Amino acid sequence: MAETTVMKRPVLSLVARLRQKWIEIYKARWPYWFISPFYILFLIFGVYPILFSLYLSFTEWKGLGPIKFVGLRNFELLLKDKVFWQSVTNGAILFFLYVPIMTFMALVLAVILNSKRVRGFRFFRTLLFIPYIMNIVAAGFTFRLMLNQKYGLVNMMLEIFNIAPVPWLESVWGGRISLCLLVIWAWLGYNMVIMLAGLQTIPGELTEAALIDGASSTQAFFYVTIPLMRPVILFSVVLSTMGSFNLFSEIYNLTGGGPINATITPVIVIFNQAFGNFRLGYASAMAYLYFIILFALTLLQFRYFGQQVD
Amino acid sequence: MFRFKTLMFLILVASMILSACGGQATTPPTAATEAPAATEPPAATEAPATEAPAATEAPTEASQLSGKVTIWMWKAAHDALTNSGVLDEFKKVQPDVEVEIVEYNPADVYQKLPLALQAGTGAPDISLVENSHLAQIVALGGLTDMTEWVTPYLDKMNAYKWADAKLDDKYYAMPWDSGPVVFYYRRDVFDAAGLSSDPDSVSAAVATWDDYLTVCQTIMEKTGSACFSNNKANNYGRLYEMMLWQQGLGYYNAEGQVTVDSPENIATLETLKKFWDANLTSDQLEWTDGWYAEMAAETEAKPIATLIEAAWMGAFLKGWIAPGTEGKWGVALMPTMEAGQVRAANDGGSAFVIPDQSENKEAAWALTEFLFGNVDSQVAMFKASDFLPSLEAAYADPVFSEPDPFFADQPVRPTYVDVVKEVPIAYVYGPNYPEMNGFVATAIQKVATGESSVEDALKEAADAIRAQTGMP
Repeated sequence: MAETTVMKRPVLSLVARLRQKWIEIYKARWPYWFISPFYILFLIFGVYPILFSLYLSFTEWKGLGPIKFVGLRNFELLLKDKVFWQSVTNGAILFFLYVPIMTFMALVLAVILNSKRVRGFRFFRTLLFIPYIMNIVAAGFTFRLMLNQKYGLVNMMLEIFNIAPVPWLESVWGGRISLCLLVIWAWLGYNMVIMLAGLQTIPGELTEAALIDGASSTQAFFYVTIPLMRPVILFSVVLSTMGSFNLFSEIYNLTGGGPINATITPVIVIFNQAFGNFRLGYASAMAYLYFIILFALTLLQFRYFGQQVD
Repeated sequence: MFRFKTLMFLILVASMILSACGGQATTPPTAATEAPAATEPPAATEAPATEAPAATEAPTEASQLSGKVTIWMWKAAHDALTNSGVLDEFKKVQPDVEVEIVEYNPADVYQKLPLALQAGTGAPDISLVENSHLAQIVALGGLTDMTEWVTPYLDKMNAYKWADAKLDDKYYAMPWDSGPVVFYYRRDVFDAAGLSSDPDSVSAAVATWDDYLTVCQTIMEKTGSACFSNNKANNYGRLYEMMLWQQGLGYYNAEGQVTVDSPENIATLETLKKFWDANLTSDQLEWTDGWYAEMAAETEAKPIATLIEAAWMGAFLKGWIAPGTEGKWGVALMPTMEAGQVRAANDGGSAFVIPDQSENKEAAWALTEFLFGNVDSQVAMFKASDFLPSLEAAYADPVFSEPDPFFADQPVRPTYVDVVKEVPIAYVYGPNYPEMNGFVATAIQKVATGESSVEDALKEAADAIRAQTGMP
């Protein structure tokens, strides 16, 4: 008896509170109407597919015909799927190959181009940003022509210096490095702009003070600029991390995931399984597992980088 | 009034957001290194303009159809229809049927068509599908059961073409062309190597793959030309599949068991490996500029000496890959694994399917039958494109015995016909072809680059295929 009375009260008050909320919402209904399109679309195109995909991950389905419930079989298969784990490893390898270099280059370039003393800094900023707005399909195709082992421009130029033809797209590491070259070329400008925006929030007095106190400009860069840029660098690195696991167009158009699956990333594997092999259930299971991995990685980065920002 | 205005405003906002979303959803680009489909070259085929077929006798059937028929197909196929004038002939028979052709690359068709079938909307009335992907799409479902319509043609087409169109004793496709595999070779290179270059002696010289290896070694020693292109690190298994097909093998067997790691398959890849090990191949990837260049090269520039490919390749060679090498090519029979086996295989070939959602199936079938079930149309399209008709009655046409100047006046078409009649039933294509091909291609890449032994690589591929497809 006592329990039920205790239970009833909060329930009642909850209903009352909800009603109160609803009245408030109703009073301000117009703004809600105005923002509702986003939420409606988000429900249809965001939430619904995410939940449906979760359901699909426990099934076998070709996109047509009956949906067959298979329990955890997809995940069981996934744990043994060498191609999937290779793709996760590839994501990590690509991350270490290009993210540090690209981030550092973006930061250095941003510092250089942030200084008004550099002649034509606006011109160079634009120049570095142009690749980002170029169509990646065209860029991938061009890179493929340039990196051809026998007829490519790059190897022809290396030949002048008596360097043997490099198997750019014809070897495991060549493929990975070629891909990194394309990614850096395409994304350096974007990251530079992020850094540039970050730099402009740092008051010039701080560097100035350090210089007056006798620091060299290199020291000022490493001990003043970089620590202050930490949140911006974190932002850029987190984006690049997700980017390196999510690479799609770059790979699709340059290497197709080869040679020997050396440049295949999880997104390509998921795409192939879903739209090449019509294994929507398996692909959904992959997508969920992959989401968990990526989420953990991002948390880790926030832990590591995000700590002492004040 | 006020409410109406609000509603309109909301719709406006919604449409703006929707269109913004639409802008972001980019369609996936076509696969870069993916194998170009059999009957479709990446570039345009310059089909020779041929005269319109001699006045086709209009079928006497009285039923007049109307409406619009939309077809998805690739450029080479579209060119074949346009340049042969068959659509104009169809117009005479069915003046009220409007035909609209939409061009997509094969890779795009294999993404868009399944999506349209899955969604239940957006599919054309007819789509061209290569045999490599046909069984997979038939198994997916959503196609019109054409059994009643195609029954009269079952014994009139190349028998092996029906395997991919059939599911549970029902037929879902109508074959257009076949891809009998032959042995293309450069007469000038054979001459330079001191080998006899007439088709019969070349056929005899490359009777088996071991003989072929000896010929390749001679060519390499005497001329420095690579024997054929077979890329190592990005190989996608097309030649290997032809070797399997020639033996009536494949990725699985008649009982549906995976045979990727069978002793026969292992032996086949070991044979191919000998050519890599002996450095007799060129590393240019098929359907890339380097590959074309090596086929179009002058004698002194060390062109590739041979090319094992299907009949449609002849049209591409003379049309746009190597038009400058006229008179330098010859056509012989492909080598076999064991002496005395049939010297025939298939690569590619295509068929029409009619999605179940089509609202004009009768007209779609009328067009399909007019194009592919009719000797006049098939011959006219063959003249324009060299897509070898699957319809066997077409082979009696005099055009099949004409000499071809591109092949030094050799009448090559009788060879195509001889080969296509012998193509064995094989188990390369099938409902799981894309993933089987994917895993095996990776295995071949591992073998070619020396990362793995043939046995280990194929074993790994077979295990992966078994795990994923659930096949025994």
